[in-house]
Amino acid sequence: MAINTKDFAEIRKVREENRAQEGERKLVVSFTNVTKEYKLYKTAKARFKGLFSKKVPFKVNRAVDNLSFEVRQGDALALLGHNGAGKSTILKMVTGVTFPTSGEIYVDGTISALLELSAGFDGESSGRDNIYFKCGLLGMEKEEIAALEQEIIDFADIGEYIDQPMRSYSSGMKARLGFAISVNVKPDILIVDEALSVGDKKFRKKCTAKVKEIMANKDVTLLFVTHASETAKAFCERAIVLEKGRKLFEGDIDEAIEFYEGTQ
Amino acid sequence: MIETVKQIYEEHRSLGWVRIYRLAKSDLIRLYRGAALGWAWALVKPIMTLFVFYFGIRIGLRHGGEVNGMPYFLWQLAGFLPWFYMRRLIPGGAGCIRKYNHLVTKMKFPVSTIPTFLNISELMVHLALLALTLITFACFGCKPDLYLLQIPLYMFLMVISFTSWSLFAGMLGAMSKDFLNLIKSLSTAIFWMSGIIYDVNEIHNKYLRFVLKLNPVTFISSGYRDVFIYKKWIIEDKVGIICYLITLVATILGAIWAYKRLRKEIPDVL
Repeated sequence: MAINTKDFAEIRKVREENRAQEGERKLVVSFTNVTKEYKLYKTAKARFKGLFSKKVPFKVNRAVDNLSFEVRQGDALALLGHNGAGKSTILKMVTGVTFPTSGEIYVDGTISALLELSAGFDGESSGRDNIYFKCGLLGMEKEEIAALEQEIIDFADIGEYIDQPMRSYSSGMKARLGFAISVNVKPDILIVDEALSVGDKKFRKKCTAKVKEIMANKDVTLLFVTHASETAKAFCERAIVLEKGRKLFEGDIDEAIEFYEGTQ
Repeated sequence: MIETVKQIYEEHRSLGWVRIYRLAKSDLIRLYRGAALGWAWALVKPIMTLFVFYFGIRIGLRHGGEVNGMPYFLWQLAGFLPWFYMRRLIPGGAGCIRKYNHLVTKMKFPVSTIPTFLNISELMVHLALLALTLITFACFGCKPDLYLLQIPLYMFLMVISFTSWSLFAGMLGAMSKDFLNLIKSLSTAIFWMSGIIYDVNEIHNKYLRFVLKLNPVTFISSGYRDVFIYKKWIIEDKVGIICYLITLVATILGAIWAYKRLRKEIPDVL
């Protein structure tokens, strides 16, 4: 996502001040000794045999290695790391798509992930029905969704198409509707992947503005994933540097970036 | 084990029946979309099957006369009616998690509900075919009677059986394409080794008879025939019920085992 760092400086300042005033804040995400291993079998057949017997040989790829961290309400945490550092795996575990091999994960609050924007849509239903469906999966009641419906439709800006089956949408339209839903559901935890790109310049601008608006709510927790340090600096105050699934450094964003750049 | 049952129940409750129904409906729409004849295909395929078997057996082999005072065609229809449901779900169940892999790998979704809505989707087709069957029987002058009240029971048993099957086979099918292909090729065997084409009770070897009765297709198919043709109550075939229940319990246990064992592994494999 194209992010203008200046936009966020102010918000970050406000959030930091807020945090300084408050005492103990609620724990929203915590990882305790989380390890995620992928079993790599030679063939699909070997994998199937492996279900029934422990003797079948396989290699282990440890994507996340004994990772522990805590995120409290209102935190803005950046996960810094190069490709293969385990960032996506961590996010998948936070969102509950995939599960850890060992360790405990605790998540409290509704999550909105700006990751797989067009995932989970049903091509046969209209965009409007899909709004209800996706919001419902996020645990919202019908009345709550009805209240948000118009806002989402206006944001996605796909005009008459909203009542057409989604299979007739272009990939850009799907992503826009996905984004509109994700940002308008008033999440407690917002997950943003920097690599995300949606729509044209005009829409991207709108997206950045919306993320800014969400961030202005001091109770919203942000998890920001990136491999570039500059954007992380814009609105995170804390960062974890990852390499091969291990936590190399955790702390203040400026120190973390310094450390991260040293590893390059 | 109990934990997994609770989890499956909780997943269904959290998704809600309204949403499960909607998923079932769009599964159905997806199936017939884009075909010029659309919904007619749901009819054409069964009619074709019935015709082929009628031709082969009645005309080709010159076999099969009146059964219990009813034309052979009706005997055939009654037994085939549930098969049209089951034949889609034997391979379809094994492929169901794979078919909906975007719900598994891209978002947090109650995966155990996938077999459920798939079966509901197929049940809608079954209900339509059932209505047509009832009309056909009426056209042949069969008046509705109390035996027909057993249909919902048989239907319920069929849906339970095949939902469990879909969960069990769907999880394994997601792990391995070989398993998927195995089931596809077994489908024909399951058909011929059931009581659809012949009456299992006429087989002399009692062990073989027992084995064939373990096939749930036999129980459901003969059940429909008992309702429509033989006018029998479900409890009259005690061995059949016991055999069916053995398979049902095994399938349910298999489904729970598969879900417990594989739920966490599936997103990494697909």
